[in-house]
Amino acid sequence: MLEIRGLMVFYENALAINNINLNCQGEKVTGVFGANSAGKSTLMYTISGIILDVKKKEEMKGGERITVLGSIAFDGMDITHMKPSERARRGIILCPERRRIFPESSTLENLKIGAYLATSIQAKKTLDYVFTIFPPLKNLKNREGGFLSGGEQQMLAIGRALMAQPKLLLLDEPLLGLSPLMEVMLARSIRDINAQTGISILITEQYARPILPIVHYGYILENGGAVLQGTSQELMENPDVKSAYFGL
Amino acid sequence: MDILIYGMVNSFSLALMAIGFTLVYGISRLPNFAHGALYVVTGFLVWSFLNILKIHYIFAILLGLLIMGLIGAFIYRFILIRVRGMATSEIIATYALGLAVLEFLRWKGFKGMTYTLPVFIEGSVSIGGTPVDLQRLIVIGIGIIVVAFMWLFTHFNKTGLALRGMAQDEHAAMMLGIDSDWMAVIAMAMGSILAGLSAIVLLPLGNIVVETGYNVLILSIAVCIVGGLGSWVGAILAAFMIGFIQIITVAYIQSHFHMVVALLAIIITLILRPSGLFGRQKELEERV
Repeated sequence: MLEIRGLMVFYENALAINNINLNCQGEKVTGVFGANSAGKSTLMYTISGIILDVKKKEEMKGGERITVLGSIAFDGMDITHMKPSERARRGIILCPERRRIFPESSTLENLKIGAYLATSIQAKKTLDYVFTIFPPLKNLKNREGGFLSGGEQQMLAIGRALMAQPKLLLLDEPLLGLSPLMEVMLARSIRDINAQTGISILITEQYARPILPIVHYGYILENGGAVLQGTSQELMENPDVKSAYFGL
Repeated sequence: MDILIYGMVNSFSLALMAIGFTLVYGISRLPNFAHGALYVVTGFLVWSFLNILKIHYIFAILLGLLIMGLIGAFIYRFILIRVRGMATSEIIATYALGLAVLEFLRWKGFKGMTYTLPVFIEGSVSIGGTPVDLQRLIVIGIGIIVVAFMWLFTHFNKTGLALRGMAQDEHAAMMLGIDSDWMAVIAMAMGSILAGLSAIVLLPLGNIVVETGYNVLILSIAVCIVGGLGSWVGAILAAFMIGFIQIITVAYIQSHFHMVVALLAIIITLILRPSGLFGRQKELEERV
C-alpha cells in the first residue's frame, strides 16, 4: 500500500533519515521503533507531506535548508511531491506527535473539523464509531480541547484523524506522556480500530513494550536508518531488541 | 438617550468595519492593510454602477460585493501568496497596495462632495425623543445579521469549521486535508466582501472620500488590537467600548477628539495588556 524507496532527508547538512526502505501492507499494522532523534517524526512528516510545507516556509524565510530525496508511492502512485492536503484526500492521515488538538474548539468541534473530507453520512457513522471505541469522549463533547487531559487528548486526536476517513492512518508516538494504564488501553484501541475497520496503520513509538505485540510487521530505526526489521514475533525474540526495549 | 442610541450606531459601524480585518487575520495570520482601500473602492464601484451603468441599487450592491470578493481572492492568489509567512513583508505588501489604490483614486479626481450613495430607505423615526434616521437603524440591523451569520458559519458550516481549525493550528489542519492556500483565498474573499458590505451600509451616511480609507484602516486596527488580534468576541466587545467612548467624547469634550480615542486605545492596550482583551491563546498554551 505504502512503498518508500531510498528515502533520505537532510536538515542543512545533518542527515535525519538515511536511505530508508519501508513497506506498509494493506489492512495491517506496521510499527517503526527507535529512540529520540532516530528520525521517527521526520519520517511521519515526510510521508504526510507536512515537510514540504515546512520546507517552503523555511525557503521563504531563508532559514534551514531541507532536502528530501527518494520516492514514496501510495497505492501504486508516486506522491513524493504531492501537497499534504492532496495526500490526505487520498487517504493518508497523520495523527501527529503531541496530539496538536485545536485548543479553543470543543471536543465535538475538533471531530467535526476532522470530518472536512468526509461526506455527512460518513461523518455521522464515524462519529458514532469514535464514541464507541473511546466512550470517555462522549461525556466531554462540549469541553474545550485545551482543557482535556493528555489521555483524553490522545483519544480525541485519533478520533479526529479517523473522522477524515483514512486508508492509511499514521500515528506518531501515540503513547507519549501517558499513564501505563492508558498506554495499555490505547494500544488495545489501536488494535481494535485496525481489526474492525481494516484501516492500515503505521505507528511510531519509542516505548515499544505495549505496541510491539499489536504490530504485524516492524522496523527498528537508529540514527535515521532502519537497522532491523521483521514480524512482531521475530522482533520480540531478537536478543538486541529484548535488551534495548524490554530490559531483559 | 442620545448617547445610548448614537453609541450603539457607532459601535455597530466599528464592528462592521473591523470584522473583515479580524476574519482575515484570525484565519490566515495575514494583516490586510489594504482593508481601508477595499472599503473606499467598493463605494466608488457601487457609485459608478448606479450613475454610469444606471443599474438598480440592489443589483449594483450585489455586483459590487461580488467584485470585492474576487478582488480579495486575487490579492491573495497573486500578491500575498508570494510573501506568505513573512509578517513584515505582508504588511508592506498590503499597505503599499492600499496606498497605491487610494492615491490613484485621488489622482484621478475621485474626491469632493459629488460622490454619495443614496440611503436605503428615506426617513427617520424618533426613539425616546431622539430623531434617528432609518439608515442608522439599518446599520445596527445589518451589524447584528453579520455577527449572527459569522457565528453560525464558523460553528456549523464545514468550511467555517475548517477555517477555525486553520486559525488554531495550520499544520494540524493540513494533516486533515484542509488546504492552507484555499482557506486563505476564502478568508481574503470573505474579508473583502465584509469590507465592501460595511462600506455600502455606512457610506450613505456621508460622502465617499479617499481619506475615509485611512480612517477605516486605523479604526479597524484599533478595534482588533484592543479586542485581541484574531479574536471575534474581543473585536465586537472592543467595537462597543471604543464606539461608546467616542460618542461620549463627542458629547462631553469636543467632536474632533473622537479619532484620538481610537489611537489612545491602541496605546493603552499595548501598555497594559499587549495581547488584547481576548488574546488568550498564549495563556491557554502555557497551561497545557
